[in-house]
Amino acid sequence: MRGLTRDLVATAAFAVLLVFLPSVLREVFGRASVSYLSLATNALVLAVLALSWDMLARTGQLSLAHAAFTGAGAYTVAVLFKLTGAPLWLGIPLGGLVAAVLALGLGSVTLRLFGIYFAIATLAFTEVLKAAVQRLPTAVAGGAAGINVPALFRPTFVAGSMERWEVAFLRNQGYFWVYAGLLVVAVVISVLIQRSRLRAAFTAVRTNEQVAGVMGVNPARMKLLAFVLSSFVAGLLGAVEAHRLGSVSPDGAFSVHTTVLALVTPIFGGLYTTLGPILGATVLAGIEETLKRTFSEGYLIGYGIVLVASILFMPRGLVGLASKLVKRGGASTSGRVGGASGGAADAAAEERA
Amino acid sequence: MSSVLRATGLSKSFGGLVAVKDVSFEAAPGEIFAIIGPNGAGKTTLLNLISGLLTPTTGRLELLGTDVTAMPTYRRCRLGLGRAFQVVQPFPEMTVAENVLVGAQFGSEGVSSSEARRRADQALERTGLDRLRDQPVEDLNLLQEKRLEIARALATQPKVLLLDEVMAGLRPGEARQAVELVRGVRDEGITVVFIEHVMPVVRDLADRVLVMDHGAELARGTYAEVTSDPRVVEAYLGVEDDDSRAGEESADARSVREAPGDDAGATAGRDA
Repeated sequence: MRGLTRDLVATAAFAVLLVFLPSVLREVFGRASVSYLSLATNALVLAVLALSWDMLARTGQLSLAHAAFTGAGAYTVAVLFKLTGAPLWLGIPLGGLVAAVLALGLGSVTLRLFGIYFAIATLAFTEVLKAAVQRLPTAVAGGAAGINVPALFRPTFVAGSMERWEVAFLRNQGYFWVYAGLLVVAVVISVLIQRSRLRAAFTAVRTNEQVAGVMGVNPARMKLLAFVLSSFVAGLLGAVEAHRLGSVSPDGAFSVHTTVLALVTPIFGGLYTTLGPILGATVLAGIEETLKRTFSEGYLIGYGIVLVASILFMPRGLVGLASKLVKRGGASTSGRVGGASGGAADAAAEERA
Repeated sequence: MSSVLRATGLSKSFGGLVAVKDVSFEAAPGEIFAIIGPNGAGKTTLLNLISGLLTPTTGRLELLGTDVTAMPTYRRCRLGLGRAFQVVQPFPEMTVAENVLVGAQFGSEGVSSSEARRRADQALERTGLDRLRDQPVEDLNLLQEKRLEIARALATQPKVLLLDEVMAGLRPGEARQAVELVRGVRDEGITVVFIEHVMPVVRDLADRVLVMDHGAELARGTYAEVTSDPRVVEAYLGVEDDDSRAGEESADARSVREAPGDDAGATAGRDA
């Protein structure tokens, strides 16, 4: 329980930091803070997506369906406001719920699939969902052209009392806070998993489902639970994204790009941890922005090189690299034994990755 | 007394291959029941049917009076069935204590976390692993891994414990310790069903023995009864027309011959 309290206090401190970050950026950078704030927002979006994917991966389910769940959240919001005059903030929780229900359905049929077969089934699910949305009546789902979605924040320019750029800043700040709220939700779910008996159950199911069952763990329940929690978070995220982008379309909402980012980020940051996906998202968002500014054309090539290199040279991600450095510091004082076993653990982790 | 584990006509076939053929037995409370037989006799398949990793093609299995024939593994475990595997399979990313804690936390319904920790500590102590509790499982040697297998099963608070060749690969002294451990478990009232190749261990531990050959029951009775049964000796020695098995007179065969005598070769559990 002490660990849980510590983690929740750290999460609360992190949340307070996020609340004040926009104001700090504004004080320090002035007009330029608009772009810094959108960079920070990108990092938040990526962190939520990555943490959501990681929760599912902890049970050994390597999903290629994350775009399906963010897309489901986005379309829930879009269809809701196209058809009804529902309150503005109702769409987001509803998007999470719809994604969670879809996950329960998909998860039930993929229970017996492992590894690459599971991944392919989830990828197929994304495509099926996308095709289904495209074929729904245009009056409901907008067809291939998509649907417009109302904005959550519409700051208005008041001549005299504020500058032009402040309108964009206020808009960005609003979304930044909403995503920060989502990240806090995701972190709390993740911490509750990691600090309860679920962590061991998830790990047991991931490493040996049969033995987990023989020891009393219900693998089906654990896998479905992870699927529902993960997709709920992804659905919330997709719903907010729909509001921020102002429209949804099948190609955009069910983009493979989302699925790829969802799995690359936790691998880069460190799998099966709360910190890894967040670190990975922060660093990757920073790298992407830097590359984009340095090479306006073809920056994605540089981004790809960074990812390949990181997977080759730090198999356990940033978190693994950090703990290795700490261990190496300890090993120089306590002899080589610890280092040797650490090496074995690294090799085992590499195999799994 | 009623039986805690009762198999009635259990069969399992994979395609055309019949791995277990019409096996029936009962294990009484507090009994140590051995399943022996040559390699490929279907012993491990039978154990998999009992623990639920396989579903029988035909037949029925009762655990503590409940029909568990089609029950998933985790529910059998919570009902009171523990299992240690032949090939040790610890969860690699956890410490020794964490491995055992999984069984304590999930092996019974509604266990509080403090009670689970107590049960895990008890299982660690029972198996002599308490000093190694914070070691990663990668650092364990074979004996310690086998102990961990038993500790994990004990942590689920079983009423029936299935052991699959836990003595295999152990040195005589180590096997003796393992025999003591199994006796201690039985003395607490836990029924033990075990597969074993080391015949002196079977002799020292088993109240009753089921001999399997080609998936079916060959003989059943006390150790003395089954080892003096000519059919059992024949199956182990491969005197029958089965050339492929006659060729490789196995350690099993030798130990079956040696065991009843006043041996020098019998090691494990002799003075225990």
